[in-house]
Amino acid sequence: MVSAQGQKESEQPLPVTGDNQSGETEGGSMYASTSLFRAPKFNAGQIILYAILIILLFITFIPILYLIVLALKDNGQIYGRFWSLPNPYRWVNFTLGSLAIWRSILNSILTSGTSTTATVVLASLSGYVFARHRFPGKEMLYTGILALLMIPPILTLIPAYVLILNMGLENTYWALILPWTSGGQVFALLLCRSFFATLPEEFFDAARIDGASELQSFIRIAVPLSAPILVTVAVVRLVTTYNQFMWPLVVISSPKRQVVAVALTQFTSEIGVTDLGPQMAGYILAAIPLIVLFSFGMRHYVRGLTAGGLKA
Amino acid sequence: MSCWRSASSAIRLRPAVCSIALAIALATSLLLGLALPLAAQSPDGQLWGQDTANRIQALALTADGGRVVIGSRDNTLRVLDSSGELIGQFEAENSISGVDISPDGQWLAVASEDRFVYLLDGDGNALWKHKASRPMNNAAVASDGSLVAATSDDLTVYVLDGEGNIVWQEVLGIGVEAVDIYGSGEQARVVVGSSDGLITIYSRTGKALLQAGLDYSVQSVSVTPNGARILAGTEDGTAILLNGANGDEIWRFEAEDTIVGVALAADSSTALVGSEDGSAYLLAGDGTLTHRFRQDDDVLSVALAGDGSRLAIGTIAGAARYYDRAAAVAGAAQSTAQRQRLIFILVGVFALLILLATWAARNTASGQLIYQRSAAGPIGLLQTMWRARLSYLLILPTLLLLLTFNYYPAFSGLYHAFTKWSPGVSTEWVGFANFEFLLEDRFFLSGFRNAGILVVVSIIKTMTFPLLVAEFIFNVRNKFSQYWFRTLFVVPIVLPAVVEILVWNNIYDPAIGLLNESLKLFGLENLTRVWYGDASVSLGAIIFIGVPWVNAFALLIFYGGLISISNEIIDASLVDGASTWRRFWTIDLPLLMGQIKLLLILNFINAVQTFELVFLTTGGGPGAATYTPALELYYLAMRMDRMGVASAIGMILFLIILAGTIINMRYVRSSTEYEA
Repeated sequence: MVSAQGQKESEQPLPVTGDNQSGETEGGSMYASTSLFRAPKFNAGQIILYAILIILLFITFIPILYLIVLALKDNGQIYGRFWSLPNPYRWVNFTLGSLAIWRSILNSILTSGTSTTATVVLASLSGYVFARHRFPGKEMLYTGILALLMIPPILTLIPAYVLILNMGLENTYWALILPWTSGGQVFALLLCRSFFATLPEEFFDAARIDGASELQSFIRIAVPLSAPILVTVAVVRLVTTYNQFMWPLVVISSPKRQVVAVALTQFTSEIGVTDLGPQMAGYILAAIPLIVLFSFGMRHYVRGLTAGGLKA
Repeated sequence: MSCWRSASSAIRLRPAVCSIALAIALATSLLLGLALPLAAQSPDGQLWGQDTANRIQALALTADGGRVVIGSRDNTLRVLDSSGELIGQFEAENSISGVDISPDGQWLAVASEDRFVYLLDGDGNALWKHKASRPMNNAAVASDGSLVAATSDDLTVYVLDGEGNIVWQEVLGIGVEAVDIYGSGEQARVVVGSSDGLITIYSRTGKALLQAGLDYSVQSVSVTPNGARILAGTEDGTAILLNGANGDEIWRFEAEDTIVGVALAADSSTALVGSEDGSAYLLAGDGTLTHRFRQDDDVLSVALAGDGSRLAIGTIAGAARYYDRAAAVAGAAQSTAQRQRLIFILVGVFALLILLATWAARNTASGQLIYQRSAAGPIGLLQTMWRARLSYLLILPTLLLLLTFNYYPAFSGLYHAFTKWSPGVSTEWVGFANFEFLLEDRFFLSGFRNAGILVVVSIIKTMTFPLLVAEFIFNVRNKFSQYWFRTLFVVPIVLPAVVEILVWNNIYDPAIGLLNESLKLFGLENLTRVWYGDASVSLGAIIFIGVPWVNAFALLIFYGGLISISNEIIDASLVDGASTWRRFWTIDLPLLMGQIKLLLILNFINAVQTFELVFLTTGGGPGAATYTPALELYYLAMRMDRMGVASAIGMILFLIILAGTIINMRYVRSSTEYEA
């Protein structure tokens, strides 16, 4: 019942931002029929609609504008002339900010990237096995894995921390990579299995007749065909791990190995930056990896979260 | 196994009876294992404890632990008996920095920051005192009171006889605060440890008999009455046992921080090491850890009775605690028993699962099908499994990772919710004590209330503005504007989640924040306040973060739902003359139930676990006004080392989320029901 909804969801072109869809801007075909019944002219209702949307948009953007303005001022400008625009623009703030956080951004990219890659590889392999192989205990194992969706991270936080301590991994990248790899697999496996299950059996039969081994048909047939779903998994995992705060806060104590989400909150205490400007510039710089990711992966992100949520 | 065998035989009745009997037996033993009563006893074998406002800088015990001497920063030296009753008291002119008592309790040497070393009799009467040029920092007395040694901040060791006459003194020229005496009469020897890492044994007359070098500054020494063993604690956190005859190292023990005090039993079969890491470590004769006494604060002083039966620990916060060693060790053994019981339970659960699978294979239709397909009996099953070995091999890494990092912690969390959990040291089954503690914990209770508020608010937030904005954008006729509105409303998603909170911290900043500045600009200065610091508005301020709450994710989901509504339905409603308002209620909303259900549950799960939002803003304050359960969990586990209670919070939140998810799945109707 729920999965039927999910299916429907994923077939529909979901809303997307980013330039890859800009071709649709002038009356894309998917909206055509709704507009058939509407007069193209502005009327009072439309004007109110625009007004409300613009006001809400403006309020939504206040913090971002505020962030950008502060990032370009020095402390004197902030405290002395709060309401004036930056004058002169303190671009050096971005240099100072980047000096303070480049390392933690790299840490984030490294740990998110590694764990995401591992998640995609493992989940596609076992998703393939669960979708196409027959072996005793398959459904039991699969149910056992899906049951993990019911376990909230807050329950495992402390025991997992103790586990990491006992393994002697605290304050290492492994303390982030291993649990993230493991935790991401559940949702990724779910997506991969349902996708692999839709691939026609004939492809694999043909490959088997041509003498391809199981691994070959996985790498040559299944993986290329499933690229979209693997990208979806990757984007969702990258965004999720990049935004992780509580787990790195608990297991990483050294500022040198800290990820950016936590490092940003320790700007003043750990890195010794007391000026507001560079701090704000650091906040903006920390968004760059996400900007890059979302500029091509927004559609995958939304599809992944929606499908995962509806199917679970 | 016998069940398996007989299962393959033709008789159907016997194996069924056999497995049922086995299941009942297993279940009973499991229940017994869980319900086994535990002897009630105080944690760690503590007999009594005294809390004073002043740090306990010196402690000493007699040979049988019958007398406890406590020297504290309030200039007072108190002599107590083994039940904690005050026997005698002595006042110096300044803080007591060091104390030693003879094994029979007849002689007391006291060092004070008033620059004097005192010799007291058993009743606490001063017999004599001797002055140094700087404060005294430690003192020791021979078992017959005939020799007193004291170290001072003037970098000198003073050795005096029973009448207070100086026998010898030596200016070391380097920091010295570790001193002890063994032997008596003419055979008395003085052991001194100094900041250059040297431990020196002097004869009564001041002749250096033996010298041993350690790598770090010696903070404390303790020597057995026969001088055979010397225990030294150093600045880097190592306690080293030396052979008193030749200075060779016998074993060493590493604590996490500087050692401040060491004590050794007369037969060196027990040692106690106090460290600034907040623990006193009870060691066995071979240097292995027997028990870790965790204190709430830095340990400043430790003492051990000569027979090793009793021990005392003093902390920087002014707590002096008196323990029974046997009880403490028994407590540790008990935790080992707990672990064994856990293994027993796990094995039992595993066996039950196998049994259940057997039952399913025999008595359910699909189970029988699998059973038959995998040929007859276990051998056939094994053969099938072996043929599918590649499949197992490929999913093995996934399974191993999930077992290690997801399944194990989940079960560990559920189990440890019922224990007093000190990882690596002890785990003690306490039943529902953690939950009872939480019922009294005002931070948790306040957090529970706040979590309730946050859940409701977060659901309202997602169900109103994102839905309205999605509907508004959907109703904008110009496709170009539609595209741009949609894009712009989603842009904020590129900011990392913590950045949004941090920026709002700045907006709320009382000194130079946007909110207060705006209020001033509009002449509303009386409305400005310390937003996070005012208990009446702090929770409101946190909830207000992110106004107007057009969550990009929720917006996209709603909008995606709207554009996927079949055009025929909308067209039909227009033909029927339905207004936009009516269409919203009768078509859009029912068809969006799938999305609403999804967002409901995601928001519920996230809101119950709210952490960053309070941790990064108010930190739970002022008072307990903005605590959440997750925040209290974090503080309990990471700052107070109460892992068991933290696990109990985790378990409570898990149960709440589970219940919420089930309710959401059962009672919130999904769109498919409207589609027919």
